[in-house]
Amino acid sequence: MASEGEAMPAGGARGGLRTGARGGAARGRGIAYQIPRNTLALLMIAQVAVVLPYLLHLSPWLIAVGLFCGYWRSGVYQGRWDYPRRWVKAVLVAASIGGVALTGVSAFSLEAAASLLILAFALKLIEMKSRRDAYLVIFLGYFAIATLFLFDQSIAVAVYQIGALMLVTAALVGLNQLVTRVRPLESLRVSALLVLQALPLTVVLFLFFPRVAPLWSVPLPSSSVTGLSDRMKPGDVAELTRSDELAFRAVFAGEVPPKRALYWRGLTYSRFVEGTWSAAGLLPEWGTAERPAPAAGASGIDYEVLLEPTSSDWLFGLDLALPATPGVTLERDFRLTAPDPVLSVFRYRVTSYPDLGMDQAPRLPDRLRIRETWLPDDGDNPRVRAYARSLMSAAGGDAEALVAAVVAQIRSEPYFYTLSPPPLQDRNSIDEFWFQTRRGFCTHYAGALVFMLRAAGVPARMVGGYQGGEINPVTGHVMVRQYDAHAWVEYWLAGEGWRRVDPTAAVAPARIEEGLNAALSPEDRESLSALTAARFDGVGVFRDLLYWADSLEHRWNLWVIGYDTHLQADVLQDLLGEITPARVGLALLLAGGASLGAVALVLFWRRRSAPRHPVEGAFQDFCRRLAGAGWPRRPDEAPASYLRRLESGGVIGADQAGALVAEVDRLLYNPGAGWGRQDLRRLRSQLRRVRLRAALGARR
Amino acid sequence: MKEQIEAVIAALNDVLLGKENQIKLAFACLLARGHLLIEDLPGMGKTLLSHALARTLGLSYNRIQFTSDVLPSDIIGTSVFERDSGTFRFIEGPLFAQLVLADEINRATPKSQSALLEAMEEHQVTADGETRPLPDPFFVIATQNPVTQGGTFPLPESQLDRFLMRIELGYPDPDAERALLRGGDKRRGLAAIEPVLDVDALKVLQQAVDDVKASDPLIDYVQRLVAHSRRGQEFAYGLSPRGALALLHAARAWALIHDRRHVVPEDVQAVLPGVVEHRLREAADYAGHGGAALAQKLLAGVDVVG
Repeated sequence: MASEGEAMPAGGARGGLRTGARGGAARGRGIAYQIPRNTLALLMIAQVAVVLPYLLHLSPWLIAVGLFCGYWRSGVYQGRWDYPRRWVKAVLVAASIGGVALTGVSAFSLEAAASLLILAFALKLIEMKSRRDAYLVIFLGYFAIATLFLFDQSIAVAVYQIGALMLVTAALVGLNQLVTRVRPLESLRVSALLVLQALPLTVVLFLFFPRVAPLWSVPLPSSSVTGLSDRMKPGDVAELTRSDELAFRAVFAGEVPPKRALYWRGLTYSRFVEGTWSAAGLLPEWGTAERPAPAAGASGIDYEVLLEPTSSDWLFGLDLALPATPGVTLERDFRLTAPDPVLSVFRYRVTSYPDLGMDQAPRLPDRLRIRETWLPDDGDNPRVRAYARSLMSAAGGDAEALVAAVVAQIRSEPYFYTLSPPPLQDRNSIDEFWFQTRRGFCTHYAGALVFMLRAAGVPARMVGGYQGGEINPVTGHVMVRQYDAHAWVEYWLAGEGWRRVDPTAAVAPARIEEGLNAALSPEDRESLSALTAARFDGVGVFRDLLYWADSLEHRWNLWVIGYDTHLQADVLQDLLGEITPARVGLALLLAGGASLGAVALVLFWRRRSAPRHPVEGAFQDFCRRLAGAGWPRRPDEAPASYLRRLESGGVIGADQAGALVAEVDRLLYNPGAGWGRQDLRRLRSQLRRVRLRAALGARR
Repeated sequence: MKEQIEAVIAALNDVLLGKENQIKLAFACLLARGHLLIEDLPGMGKTLLSHALARTLGLSYNRIQFTSDVLPSDIIGTSVFERDSGTFRFIEGPLFAQLVLADEINRATPKSQSALLEAMEEHQVTADGETRPLPDPFFVIATQNPVTQGGTFPLPESQLDRFLMRIELGYPDPDAERALLRGGDKRRGLAAIEPVLDVDALKVLQQAVDDVKASDPLIDYVQRLVAHSRRGQEFAYGLSPRGALALLHAARAWALIHDRRHVVPEDVQAVLPGVVEHRLREAADYAGHGGAALAQKLLAGVDVVG
């Protein structure tokens, strides 16, 4: 890189003198310390590759800063501009920090830290002069590659980052080439080779290296994720259905239950204020004998759920799910919760007992009863209240009969299931829906039913979760996507406990039996995103491709992301028996040595010389052994001369020596006389005899 | 064939006492169609050996005594105007013989030395714009005084490379010297040497050299030797491909002299000093000596068996 030329104004001698006078440290460095021009290009490409995926997670103006720096640097590269002066750099740094502060991320969040890292990475471009600076940029690049995994751990990102790793390494290789012989393609080849050679060791370290709990906690990204919220307005779920993002995958140990039985229970919504259902706060603790336990010998449905990040702590399971993973708890309203908000793929194991009742005691605890029959002031939705009470009295106070009447009403009257219902007022929304619009999504029907049950004095609540799912034929797991989001109703019967009722099944039975796709009207279908539509209508190859990609991602989650301390302990237990630090250390050492040895072997194999002539091999072997018996052969001693010397030393008899000399001469040096396996074997046995005799002689 | 070879060697042994190895090398060199350079002090029998070779093999023989004022035309020949016919006639120089002894070649100027070059390589000479073939077979045996002696123009590497072998005769051992002193000067008996071979028989022998086989392990050995000379720290430069070919071909001739139809490592080792000494130079030595020690280092540094 012609930094001297770039840096010096065209003015010539005076400028030169000035630079010289300003002193040696920076300018006086020899060409060996400068960054080779071609390598600079490679370095910049690597930087772009490293920064690019951050676009998805950080604010886009960072990229603009990066582009600006790249433009400036290319000007310097072409000799048009000078490096920025000190105060310009100071202003740039201050402006960048200010920019990050203004972006609205909190000061100690991951986003803020990552933004500053990327900014430093970009700004270093216009400051980098010597090799030392370039090394700094390269190590920053490695760091940025690792940092991205805090945001996203999917397989696609991992593959991309390996590519970025190769590019950064190629820049590092390029920096160490001769200035006169910089070959970017060769650098790339070398770095790809280096990364590939490192892969076995990576696998070993991944498997064996102890997962140490971090000394300080890294703040995790707080980005918004699509998914169920703890506040639900009728119509919210309809928005969710437009997303085909994955909610979770479930792996069943046995057969997958039928689709209509797959009610993935999530949250319960007990408060209804101003047309919005929300999950209530703290729940009473489990009383004694209330905690459900399976009957002895009852067999449940075993499955494991791999939940995608939700940023909240509730989990999903089929009724009634008893957690088998430590840390996962069953709450008083029978929802499952994780110990912490789920920010990366969370694995938990569950056993469901569909026949196990919930709150089967003859009386609900008072707090619970109050909470699950609570309604806002009488002014809200008066018509539905009156309607519910009249139905209830007609039913003779029987909650089951009331539900049956409401469901019959939905079936017989013109109620419609649609993704785009007309908007409702916050107040009296249920009146409006039930008596006027009559068009709604699952939350509308569930909300109306809960309201009516509560108005009639029956404890009831809305349950949010997912319904259904799609079986991936490749791996056999169930994929549940956001468009499977659903809401249904639970009401309490004395003695029986909570009973599930799904009013959506009355208005759109196909939604429950076959999934959302079957229940959609043509207008609804048009409002779907392209990918969702493709998933629904996909044919043949494309659908298979989606399945295949999903199963790949699933395995990645199972074996790479899900390889946590517990799984590692299991694997190590299988491999090593008892887990002691010494054993783990030894295994790490052995496996690491083996992986490095394998690489060394490949290198050695590729550098090996042409295969040795078998007769030469046999003869060399013979010489080595005789050397042990005190008769070493000088390297320049030809076989015949050596054998003659052995003869004169009394190691071989005269006639035997003659035969051997003739034999070796024939096999080694007479191309006219062909030879086969027998000849070789005979020679070997002859040589062996000589050897034994020599060994005996040496002992005497 | 075996008898012929033995007869030649016996005849030469009668003339030059106690130098059987050098005689065999010189003979092998001619059988391999190569030119020979004999380097030694004056009076060691260089001329005697070359003259005896010519007689024994039944070749026509010329001797050129090189001095610092010998001109190329003195070697190649010159055109003379003939008054009778009114034309120029080319008078062939001493080069036109089947065996030419170029005596004390390093006393001549480079210009005259290089006149030999085309002749040795192409077996033809160009004079007055006309190319004339030389007799077949055509051998040059050159002698030179050690380069350390005064009044010498050392042969450049390019020219040294054209000699298949360079040998030294050395002092005779006491027994041979005693026989020499007692038997009188054998030089007088030179005229009495009867030709053992004729040109046709020589050509048959040369053909037989070509037919001597070399196995893969042997060629591997030759390659290892060459590679070692190119890699080793002590060598200023390695053996050229021509050097490698020369080594193998000389070893073939050596094998034939010892009545073998295939080459063994001993053959290579026997001819190696003669073939490579003048083609190597020690890295540490800018004056250009030390080839003999180098050849020994080369031999000792390479395993015969791969």
